[in-house]
Amino acid sequence: MATSSSSSGLTFKLHPLVIVNISDHYTRVKSQSNPPPTTTTTATATSPPPPPPRVFGCVIGIQRGRTVEIFNSFELLYDPSTDSLDRSFLEKKQELYKKVFPNFYILGWYSTGSDAQESDMHIHKALMDINESPVYVLLNPSINHAQKDLPVTIYESELHVIDGIPQLIFVRASYTIETVEAERISVDHVAHLKPSDGVAAHLTSIHSSIKMLNSRIRVLHHYLLAMQKGDIPCENSLLRQVSSLLRRLPTIESGKFQDDFLMEYNDTLLITYLAMVTNCSSTMNELVDKFNTAYDRHSRRGGRTAFI
Amino acid sequence: MDTLEALVTQIQGLSNGEADLTDLHNLLKQSEDQLHSHTPRLPSLLLQLDPAKHSLGYLYFLEACTSAPVSKEQANDLSLIIVRFINSCIAEQIRLAPDKRFKDQVLMLEAPMRGVAPMLASVRKLQTSSECLTPLHPEFLLLCLLAKNYKAGLSILKDDIFEVDQPRDFFLYCYYGGMICIGQKRFSKAIELLHNVVTAPMSTMNAIAVEAYKKYILVSLIHQGQFSTPFPKYTSTAASRNLKSFSQPYMDLAIAYGSGKRSELEACFEANKENFEADSNLGLVKQVLSCMYKRNIQRLTQTYLTLSLQDIANAVQLNSAKEAEMHVLQMIQDGEIFATINQKDGMVRFQEDPEQYKTCDMIEHIDSAIQRIMTLSKKLTAMDENISCDPLYLAKVGRERQRYDFDDFDSVPQRFNI
Repeated sequence: MATSSSSSGLTFKLHPLVIVNISDHYTRVKSQSNPPPTTTTTATATSPPPPPPRVFGCVIGIQRGRTVEIFNSFELLYDPSTDSLDRSFLEKKQELYKKVFPNFYILGWYSTGSDAQESDMHIHKALMDINESPVYVLLNPSINHAQKDLPVTIYESELHVIDGIPQLIFVRASYTIETVEAERISVDHVAHLKPSDGVAAHLTSIHSSIKMLNSRIRVLHHYLLAMQKGDIPCENSLLRQVSSLLRRLPTIESGKFQDDFLMEYNDTLLITYLAMVTNCSSTMNELVDKFNTAYDRHSRRGGRTAFI
Repeated sequence: MDTLEALVTQIQGLSNGEADLTDLHNLLKQSEDQLHSHTPRLPSLLLQLDPAKHSLGYLYFLEACTSAPVSKEQANDLSLIIVRFINSCIAEQIRLAPDKRFKDQVLMLEAPMRGVAPMLASVRKLQTSSECLTPLHPEFLLLCLLAKNYKAGLSILKDDIFEVDQPRDFFLYCYYGGMICIGQKRFSKAIELLHNVVTAPMSTMNAIAVEAYKKYILVSLIHQGQFSTPFPKYTSTAASRNLKSFSQPYMDLAIAYGSGKRSELEACFEANKENFEADSNLGLVKQVLSCMYKRNIQRLTQTYLTLSLQDIANAVQLNSAKEAEMHVLQMIQDGEIFATINQKDGMVRFQEDPEQYKTCDMIEHIDSAIQRIMTLSKKLTAMDENISCDPLYLAKVGRERQRYDFDDFDSVPQRFNI
């Protein structure tokens, strides 16, 4: 529905807390509404999976001049009969938030889905008496691995003349993500994005980068194989690029480097081995303890030991 | 007569499908006596059954054939039939009746070599996974020992065993396995296997364990140069109390070895020679004697950096410097010590292990060790989880828990009634 981009000149800044809130709200509603999958061998899928539920809520923040900064959000109930959000609840929440954050105003509302819909305009208009130009934050909950950007879009409303009738339509607005240090740490922690441990964080980042490198090399390999088989016409410029890439490695090729490298590699392997042996012995220790508790006839009788 | 014919038709009819097989099995168990009484007729009836499809019935018939005393020519024919059967039978069917043994036939022929390959095939077929111990394992190892074909035995010994059905099978398996490893001079694996026999749980004394303990003492003297007398904590009480009394001469030998004096060792050897011979361990004891020199020379490497050959001969109680040079040379070749002999002035310089740990072979070695430990770790975690769900364990743990634990109201039950 919304095609053109906004021309209002407002800059939008979105805090990650809002994104985490919306996604959390959606996940909760979705997991509570869906029945657990039943494993029946004979029944086939009788109906297509139900459409994902839509969740609604309000976003609050500060508007300073031409900058709109969205700090926080809270949830609202959607009334399908009146096609509007629960007004009394909204006002009550607004009062409560005003006490804690006196600067925050209601800037707009949010919802989930793949694209803005016609019915959303009603809700948008209803909010116009609180804020004359509310924003509409839309989160797309479908997981798309190919997509690199955030599935969050911010819409504004503009009055356009279509077929001679002035209408309010949604237009996309660009935004940036803004955060403070405290928020970044807590959102990281809550979303389990990064392990706080130093070594594990380092290793996970190395692992993900190697995985990406591996997948890209695989694409190249596949491409070259297809070229060799003749499925794809030979493209010499690409071949030249691939060849130059391959010639870049190995960077050093000497006996001394090989020695040092192998020695360090062996050291790392030994440490890993040591770690695994320690891990194994700790598991074995627990196993033996449990075994002794369960089956040992000569165990302590009547003694109260702390259960760890 | 008719019952046998009826049995044959039943076998032919019921040999498909799971449920039919259990019926067939019960039927065959009941008619076992009948089969045994009609042994002369059986070979002709065997021809009517196809070993590939009617394995279970064929098995029972064969067993009945072999249980009666047979002459040598018949044994020849029978073993051929058995071999063909083993190669073509269906594994699932024979697993239902795992206690039939065929090695007696082959032994009668006094050619255990012929039995090795079919036995190997049958062991592989009977195993549900490579970690299971079957009754055929020790039989197979015994055949290998008699045929002096140690390599075939080693291939079976490479698999780690995790599941054991009958303790007797386990004892025999480890004992024979230890003997095979000694034959191949792989003393570390032999020690491991014999150690398993000695420390396995047993409620009463076990002749296999006694013999294994004697060999265990000897092999640990050869391989490690010392023997630790106290038993590990996990040995059963029956073993730790009684094993020592049965193997007194070996303990004396170990003490004499520990003293480091050649004369003492030889005296002990002479005194107990008949005992050693009776246990057929004489060869091992002789190896212990020859290994004494090696141990003493190795002890020298820890004290001296360089030593003259004459001094070595004196320290180790060898007769001459020439002999000492021979021994040291042999040990360098075997990789047991690292040294250089300077022939001009007869000095031996002891060195460190020149392994730099920077070869690709070392990487492979460590990598394979890591893989092994990862599988072991997975197994341990699985066992840990299993035992955590064991009702016996949960009952004991629930009982010992403190009663008023405000912090964590776990779901561990106080009393577990099944």
